[in-house]
This record gives sequence, C-alpha cells and structure tokens, in this order.
Amino acid sequence: MSITLDFDVQQLDNNKRPLELHYLPAKIDGDGECADANKFFNNYTQEVADYGPGVLTNCLRGYPLLGKKLQPPEGYKGVVLQETDPSQTNRQLRLTGTFKDFTYWNYDKVPSKGDGYQQTLLALELAEALAAPIDESEIEEELKQQQETKKENT
Amino acid sequence: MSKKSTRSTKLKSDPDAVPKKASVCAIKKVLFIAHNLLHGEQKICLERFYHPGKGRNALFATLGDSVIMEVLEYAESRRSWLLTALSTEVCSNGRIYITAPIDLNFLALHQLRKHCSQRAISLDSISEDSDTNRLLTKFVNPETLKCVADVKTSGEQSFYKYNAARTMAWLALKTRQVMTVLRKKQVHCGRGAKSQNYVQSEKLADGNDVNEMDYTRMACDYVGRYLDADLHEELTRYLHIPSEIQALVEEQSNAQKRKSQQSESKANSKKIKLAGEDAASKLRQSGLVDSEEPVTSPTAAAPTPLKERSLTAKEKALAKGAKGSKSIASFFKAK
Repeated sequence: MSITLDFDVQQLDNNKRPLELHYLPAKIDGDGECADANKFFNNYTQEVADYGPGVLTNCLRGYPLLGKKLQPPEGYKGVVLQETDPSQTNRQLRLTGTFKDFTYWNYDKVPSKGDGYQQTLLALELAEALAAPIDESEIEEELKQQQETKKENT
Repeated sequence: MSKKSTRSTKLKSDPDAVPKKASVCAIKKVLFIAHNLLHGEQKICLERFYHPGKGRNALFATLGDSVIMEVLEYAESRRSWLLTALSTEVCSNGRIYITAPIDLNFLALHQLRKHCSQRAISLDSISEDSDTNRLLTKFVNPETLKCVADVKTSGEQSFYKYNAARTMAWLALKTRQVMTVLRKKQVHCGRGAKSQNYVQSEKLADGNDVNEMDYTRMACDYVGRYLDADLHEELTRYLHIPSEIQALVEEQSNAQKRKSQQSESKANSKKIKLAGEDAASKLRQSGLVDSEEPVTSPTAAAPTPLKERSLTAKEKALAKGAKGSKSIASFFKAK
C-alpha cells in the first residue's frame, strides 16, 4: 500500500488564491459544503483590543470565540489535501490548496502558549534538536568520560 | 488499518446510499509540510516503517530516496476546520499532520539490536522485509551508523555490529541536545501540571522550582519515545535518573525539612529546653548532682525577654492615664 501526495512544487507556488481556514474549537459531525462563511461568520469577526493585540472575537452557535491569526511554523508550508477514493491500494491525495495563515479559535480563552496547538510547535523544535546529528568525536569523549567515572567509582 | 464504524461507513453497505458517497468521501486533510520536502520533480510519498517507540508501523513522508521525515499528528478532541476556497466547507477531521525531522539512526537502531547484536551483518541482508530493507539501504546514512555500531569493512562491503556502549553515549548526547532546547524554551518540566498562563509569574515568585533532574527526565522520556522500551530503561539507568516515585518521596522529605527549618528557632529552643529540664530532673533524681542549682543548658538559659522590654511611649501614656483607676480584674470579682 502506498500513498502519494499527487502534486508538484510548481502547483504549490502557482496557487494564487490562498485558502482561508478557521480552526474551530468544536467537534463537527460532518464533512462537505456548508453555508457561506463570509456571510455568516467572517462578517462578525471583530478585533477587540481589550484582550491584547490581534485578538479576534466571533461566535459560533452563540458560543463566544476568541481567536488569533497564526502562521504555519517557520520552514513549513500549509497545505490542504483531499482524498478521492481511500479504498484503492495506491492511494492518492490531491491538492486542494495552500494557505499562508489560518485563524485559530478558542472557546472563551485567549489563544496563548498554554494551548495544545502552540505546545505542539515546541515539540517540533524538540524534534529538530533530537534529529540534529552528533559528531563521532563527541561520542568518543562521552565514552572516555564514562570510563573515567567508572574508574573513580571502583 | 481498521476503521471505526461511523455513520458514513454504515451507509456504504446500503446500496441506496451509493450516490451520496461521492460527496461525503472527499475528506480533507490539513498538513504542514517542511520546505525540504518541497523541491525537485518527485512527488512526496507516505510510507510505513517500523517505529520502535510506538512498537508498530508509523507513517513517514519520503521524497524519492533522499529525504525522509516523520509524520506527526496533532489531534485535539474537539477541533474541526472551516475552510473557504470558492465555497465554504466544514471538515470534521480537526487534525494537523506535520512532517518532522527524524534521525534515522533511531529506526536503524531497532533493527541493529534485533539482528546484529551477535554478529556483524551488511545492511542489505539485515532484513527480509522489503520496506525495512529499503529503509536501511536507501535512507540510513552508513556514516552516522558508526555512532551506534561497530563497522567492519571488507572490500566494498561494510558490516555492522551493534555496540551498546557507543549507543548509550550517543543517546546521552541526544538527551543533552533535547535538554538544551527545553531549558532555552523554559518548558515547565517539574512534577504535576501547570498552566502555561501562570508559569511566568510563579517563576518570579518562587524562583528556582525547576531542577536539573526534571529536565533530564523529561528529555530522556522524549528520547525514549523513539526507542524500544528496554533501551529506554537502560538509558534511564545510564543517566542516573531516579524513578518518579522515588523523586517524589525525596522531595516530600525535603519539604518537611524546610518546614521545620522555618520554625526552627521556636521549635528547637522549646525542644532543647524540655530536654534540658528532663536531663536536669533525672540527674537530681539519680542523686549524682547534689547542688540545688539547676543544670543549665545554653539554650535554656536564654533570658525571658518579656520583663526586660522597656515600655513604649504609647504604653507609658496609657499607664499614666490608668493611674488611680481600678484594675479591670476587680469588675469580675465576686462581691
């Protein structure tokens, strides 16, 4: 079984109209088209200075939302893919579009470092640190030290 | 891959629902793709390789035979996407898939430990499995394998044998790298959960509540996510990390010590005083000491400060005003 992301780099760059994404703090049991977000959602987005710079407010089904525009982490490109037929053995994911930023919405709390999402970005940095290669000479040094401490103990 | 039975899968078994399928099926996925996967003519593939930390196969994104990255999933229990291109769509899959760099030595390590602990084997004959074979021969850089294995070369071929001591050293260095980032980012590593919202002010208040060992433990656990369970345990021993329960007990006993230190002056003098009196009375009883003079311990000799305290101006004024008046106790006397 293989999965191919069926697009090439030119396609990504050519994508003139970036997608507009909202990351909603709600479980929505459904996929597919819905009412026009510009008319029913974006129209009501306001920037409220009380909560800090760049904090937006809106509401979803009467529940207050606090949001912020966020970018994908540095060095990453935001991409939306779509799978037409997952039952095939050679699965293909097609490109729907790309995005430069998205609006992260929280229910009744200002988006902050405490959010799971922003902590994930920390985890990404850890992954980078973990993947950083280690020089052989460092290992030799560590081994030497280890042996010395062993000698001291005995 | 087993699929949860959801409403949509149930629908598929129903022949009448077939036309609906086409519209439901186009499930969108949001990805963050690293720039180093986005170059060249080739298309990105998602492949499954054995992930030792998870103990099963996991998804990796590959670009040809050159770049490989781990696919991480960010999932929160209640999240979904609302996306607008030409029309607006909702997407129930509120996950973000992120490609993260990974050191392939972690994946190779599992194979080396499994197959090459007794004898040296060349990379292409380690595994029969074609996927693993591809992983080891195409992606793993033989140079970096020297960090975890002994390499013997004969002619053009290289043979690798697992080296436990080098592996431990390598893992310890990896742990240190992770620790550096944890400290730089001021990640809270201590016991118990703390909201990030409050961490800053708390740090100001009680200064140094994160100790070195917490960082080491966190870093070690993070590295352990890419290791076989037994290797993780070995690393924990190697880094001399006490188990969390042990650390908890130690910390509690420390906390108690601190408490007693706070009220040290009071408690101590009292205790010693009592002990001194006890000793004195015992001595008297035993008849070893004849003199009536009490045996004084240095702390017990501390003069009672109350009487010697000179009266303040206010108290003096009060005392002056109270001259000639009855003692308050007289009001309560039986008449």
